[in-house]
Amino acid sequence: MNITIETANGTTTAHLEGRLDTLASAQVTPYFDQLQEHADGIVVLDCTDLTYIASSGLRLFLALRKVAISKNGKVIVKNISDSIRQVFMMTGFLNIFEIQ
Amino acid sequence: MSKTDKTEKKVFGLSARTSVLLVVVFILTLEATGIIQFVYLQRAIKQEASLRAQSELNSVTNKIMDVVNQAEGAVINSVWVAEWCLENPDSLMRVPQRVVELNPVVVGSTIALVPDYSKKYPLYSPYAVRNLETGEIETLSLATENYDYPSQEWFTQPVALGKGYWSEPYFDEGGGEMLMTTFSVPVTDREGKVAAVLTADISLEWLTDLMEHTQPYQNSYNTVVSRSGKPMLSTDAGNQGIEGSRTLVYSTIVDRTGWELSIVIPKKDIYAGVRKVGAVVKLLQILGIVLIIFILRMMKRNQMKYKNLTAQKEVMESELRIGHNIQMAMVPKTFPAFPKRTDLDIAACIVPAKEVGGDLYDFYIRDEKLFFCIGDVSGKGVPASLVMTVTQSLFRAISSRENSPSKIVGSMNDLMAEKNESSMFVTFFCGVLDLDTGHLRYCNAGHNPALMVGGGESAADNGTTVRVLPVISNIPLGLDTGYPFQEQETNLSYDDTIFLYTDGVTEAENATFNLFGEERLSAALGTKCDAQGYLDATRVAVNEFVGDTPQNDDITVLVIRYLNTPVKQERHLILHNDIQQIPQLADFMETIAEEKHLNQNDTMSLNLALEEAVTNVILYAYPDGSDGLVDIEAVLREHSIEFTITDSGFPFDPTAVPEVDITLLADERSIGGLGIHLVRQIMDEVRYQRLDNKNVLTLIKNI
Repeated sequence: MNITIETANGTTTAHLEGRLDTLASAQVTPYFDQLQEHADGIVVLDCTDLTYIASSGLRLFLALRKVAISKNGKVIVKNISDSIRQVFMMTGFLNIFEIQ
Repeated sequence: MSKTDKTEKKVFGLSARTSVLLVVVFILTLEATGIIQFVYLQRAIKQEASLRAQSELNSVTNKIMDVVNQAEGAVINSVWVAEWCLENPDSLMRVPQRVVELNPVVVGSTIALVPDYSKKYPLYSPYAVRNLETGEIETLSLATENYDYPSQEWFTQPVALGKGYWSEPYFDEGGGEMLMTTFSVPVTDREGKVAAVLTADISLEWLTDLMEHTQPYQNSYNTVVSRSGKPMLSTDAGNQGIEGSRTLVYSTIVDRTGWELSIVIPKKDIYAGVRKVGAVVKLLQILGIVLIIFILRMMKRNQMKYKNLTAQKEVMESELRIGHNIQMAMVPKTFPAFPKRTDLDIAACIVPAKEVGGDLYDFYIRDEKLFFCIGDVSGKGVPASLVMTVTQSLFRAISSRENSPSKIVGSMNDLMAEKNESSMFVTFFCGVLDLDTGHLRYCNAGHNPALMVGGGESAADNGTTVRVLPVISNIPLGLDTGYPFQEQETNLSYDDTIFLYTDGVTEAENATFNLFGEERLSAALGTKCDAQGYLDATRVAVNEFVGDTPQNDDITVLVIRYLNTPVKQERHLILHNDIQQIPQLADFMETIAEEKHLNQNDTMSLNLALEEAVTNVILYAYPDGSDGLVDIEAVLREHSIEFTITDSGFPFDPTAVPEVDITLLADERSIGGLGIHLVRQIMDEVRYQRLDNKNVLTLIKNI
């Protein structure tokens, strides 16, 4: 699991790459803490290269979204694969996140 | 019960009130007609009495007038003689003699000269009288010192009136000793001067006779009163008391004599007939009332009897209904029967011909084996239903500790045959299906063989193969203790269906007494569908066949569709309770995916479900810091993948975790609970068991 974060023009974009399973979620938690600091603006989660997500990963997404709401920020989920879209659907995340 | 009592009382009260009313109306009607009848009858009878009395009076009057006329005639016809004899008073004696002689009604007669008319005889009144004993006519003179005839009424009145006069009746003392009356007429001389009075005395004995013989009513009597109101005679012998308002009096006055004749009739005589009729009517009325009360009582008794019968019938019906409910509660009838299982699809129905029936079926799972049975008790109704409940209970009791169908059937048979005094028997089929392997063991006790409906690979696209399950018939339950029941076995493949039924299906009769039969049944099962579909197809076909003909036997169907496939492969993985080991699941899943040719989406979702279940164990099953194992077994079948995750940690049933609400907004959602939610979403069956101090979670996905 790789994650790279870049900020430009008030938008913070995180590139997620690989499998965000339980172990990976534990590993990337500091990155998501970092993203929460930018949650007063626009945070883009670029999932183009995300192949798998477990509930622990979904929890990171949800926690970030909750912080964004409290800071009047915005979280955009970008380019999710069909299989991940299915998971989003099963968990109701399609309604919670702005998907692009 | 209290409801029934109330209704009964109400019905009873209404009825009593109605019957009392009926009797009262009846009595009033009777009384009214009686009174009207009595009034009219009385009036008619009174009228009749009046007519009768008048006619009697007329007849008496006529008879009196006869005598009166005779007497008057006797006198008047002799007046000319008297006139002629006036000049020779001595010859006057001849006149009264002649009157008496010629007229039998005349007792005595005299011709009395007006005083001083004759110089020779200043007072002269020769009198002729009939001696009643000898019949001779004697003569004497009335002009005596003792008898001042010129002042007598019979003399003065005709002289004064100048015409004939009937005297007041008088009692003739010294003469005839009887009631008499005298008719007297004035005799005038040639100068037209009244010279004498000619009389005829008439006995009224005949009148007494006449009146005594006139008696229109038994106690009626007659009276005769003279012109001046003097009572002449009364035939009232012993009825002096009857007078006034208690009598009716009819009177007439006789011409010339001025007598008033009366008939006095006691009312009780007149109305004796009415009274008699009245008494008879009263008697009839009483009889009628007694009769109507009797009839009402009979009606009430019948009504009570009917009511009792109805109540008894209601009690019986309600008991039968309860019986029906008890029976229905004994057979499993919630479908789908095992909603969490993917390897089994069961449908069943039982339709008794009467309220209670003798058909039964049952099924349940124990140790991953499906125990099932179907049975048909000989006979119908309550006796059959009692045996049915016994059979059903025995099956449950015995199969709970016995896995062999032949032993189950054998034990049931022994228990039932031992005390079977009514010689009832049960045709019975018992099966035990190993759900893992599809291995079926069965034993048939005289029941009609089950049908095997194949919907799997051997069948055409949407069709099925229907064949009869080969059975050794054995004998029905309850006939012979110790009978050695033989057991048989077969293997079920994916989508094989055991179709069990009682003969109510194949022997359903239509209006022309044809039976539904096995061929029609097989045809009905020719289209591939689920268990409920087979059941419905059978129901539709039977209903179409019988039409309106009433069902004459219990109909029971049990459909068991097996949806498991034999194990093709097994995979095994053991992890420690360390999330560092999680990525191993992905590799494990990859080998399975290759074996089962799964696409990427299915692989990912299965991986996700497995990971969530395993993560749960790794994170929470064991105390922090302690080492524990997670045993993961994957069983690959033709149409399913089954994961069994076993750990020896704290008892925890993830299937008991409440569902998360995925419709909530982000800020309302809690962070947790998503893992088990995903497992439920992805897998077709999630089953938890606590076995040997281990948590055993089974996840099944149909492919």
